[in-house]
Amino acid sequence: METASGGGGFRPEEAYAAAAERFFELLKTFTRAGSGPGSAPHDWSSLAGPLASQFEQWLRLSQSAGPWFTAAGAAGMPPGSTGSAAGSFGPLPFGPAAVQHPEAQRVWELVARLTQLQAQLAAHWSEIARSAAQRFVARVGSLSAVPSAEQTLKLYEQWVSCAEEAYAATARRDDFARLQSELANVSAALLVEQRRHAESLVRAFGLPTRTEVDALYAHIKDLSRRLAQFEAGARPPPARRAAASRAAGKSARSKPARGKRAKPKRRPRT
Amino acid sequence: MKASAADAGGSVAELTLRVAETLARLHQARDVQVGTTAKRAVLSVGKTTLYEYLPLTRGSAGCKVAPLLICFALVNRPYVLDLQPDRSLVRRLLEAGLSVYLIDWGTPDESERYTDLEDYIEGRLGACVRHVLHSTAREALNLLGVCQGGVLSLCYAALHPQQVAHLVTLTTPVDFHTPANLLSRWVRGVDTDLMAACGNVPGEVLNSLFLALMPFRLTQEKYIRLLTGRPEQRAVEDFVRMERWIFDSPPQAAAALAQFVRWFYQENALVRGTLRIGGRRVDLRHIRQPLLNLYALEDHIVPPDACAALKQHVGSRDYTACAVPTGHIGMYVSRAAREEIPRQIVSWLNARA
Repeated sequence: METASGGGGFRPEEAYAAAAERFFELLKTFTRAGSGPGSAPHDWSSLAGPLASQFEQWLRLSQSAGPWFTAAGAAGMPPGSTGSAAGSFGPLPFGPAAVQHPEAQRVWELVARLTQLQAQLAAHWSEIARSAAQRFVARVGSLSAVPSAEQTLKLYEQWVSCAEEAYAATARRDDFARLQSELANVSAALLVEQRRHAESLVRAFGLPTRTEVDALYAHIKDLSRRLAQFEAGARPPPARRAAASRAAGKSARSKPARGKRAKPKRRPRT
Repeated sequence: MKASAADAGGSVAELTLRVAETLARLHQARDVQVGTTAKRAVLSVGKTTLYEYLPLTRGSAGCKVAPLLICFALVNRPYVLDLQPDRSLVRRLLEAGLSVYLIDWGTPDESERYTDLEDYIEGRLGACVRHVLHSTAREALNLLGVCQGGVLSLCYAALHPQQVAHLVTLTTPVDFHTPANLLSRWVRGVDTDLMAACGNVPGEVLNSLFLALMPFRLTQEKYIRLLTGRPEQRAVEDFVRMERWIFDSPPQAAAALAQFVRWFYQENALVRGTLRIGGRRVDLRHIRQPLLNLYALEDHIVPPDACAALKQHVGSRDYTACAVPTGHIGMYVSRAAREEIPRQIVSWLNARA
């Protein structure tokens, strides 16, 4: 998804500038629909097509394959480039590498599945955009002219409400929820395949692999946990410690009151 | 009203001017500071740091109320609770004379990909609790769990009830299968083993997920509202602080996130009573201490029903709920909540001291 932090980092001005650009695009669309030739009546219904088209384009660009795909994208697969994604897996098909390996087959299957899922998602974006535009036109049908700056902002608010309502209606459906989960799973599976390939390269150079590092880490973690359990077993519970500490404090405070000031211990002469 | 190209042009020109003014203010506001209340690190466990806030009032050392430990979510940074002096839950609590500690979970790297919920709850949260108890010579402290941190706090309080005198939950989901929970519906079919195998999840992924719940409002409308509203420089700075926090999401340790999705979002194990941490069953009925549950009525991330369900599952007889008419983030920084939330917490704790 295209956000102010997409790809990491905080870039507020870019987000604002992009939002402003889209806002003015939308204003232009409002203006075109509202300013008919001469004093012709305003045909707000003509807005539906351009609005739906703009919104769909924004959804496609900003949502791409849903938030999940960002993970795969971060690993070198920019959203929307699934066609070439398979190219980053596996060696070039020369010499022995030309033989089809099951791993490569698996990658191609995953890429194909991801493409199918993206197509399904695109169909949802189309439906959401169409529905949002229809809702909007139905609501502003009573407006009779080009609005002032303040009215334009109200019109924009109205558009946002319609867009969110249309989005929510689809996003809450079971088929959309299943699609989100499947996109996450396929994106994750692709990432795992990519790492598996990277491991074989690392092994060829005699470097420790992620799997080996993980095994060592698991071992250290197990030892740390055992040590913590051992230490916890040797330590009195906090309540008893707190009580002991309070008792010690009380005893220290009460000593001067009884007039028996403890003599400072004399260090033995050496 | 008649349409004319001149009218339309005038509207656009006026709005363009407003946008230009606001963009200039935004440029000036880039270097805003966050989390400025004085604090010191008192414990470090892995990437996690326990902070103790320095008292703002003289009497806090002898305060009758037990120290308050704030356990924030793993998925965001805790400085939203101390965003700026006039929008700071922490500062309001200190001003009321409370002794305040805060857990910052830090930024997990790949060495922490196997850090799981047991590590976070029993290891790190436990270490922080023990440290506060030891350094203040108390048998029990007050625990404030925020959002996902509230879930961790509930688990800890259920496992170690004797260490928690009073429990406060803020925007804390308990029943993850309420109808309004869109996030839960989306992740219900996610393969968590595969998710864990992918390694740590970048903060941007979770951020995108949260923004995708209401994409147009959260990534477009709020900017337009700001850009076209002729805000004062101070308001622009407030906005930038909030933006910084929203997009400053730490990566998530793979194992912990996969467990959180599976156990809570998918299995709803907390309310079903099937959750086990470190081999021990987490039974919410073991939470018998006084409990204050604060939640937002317009929360799109943690729906109010998901929070309100807590009452049915805990063993506390002294249970107080407070629903605030704001959104998820509004609970930490909105004008309505910024006085209401600390006031509720302080008066509730003082009444039980």
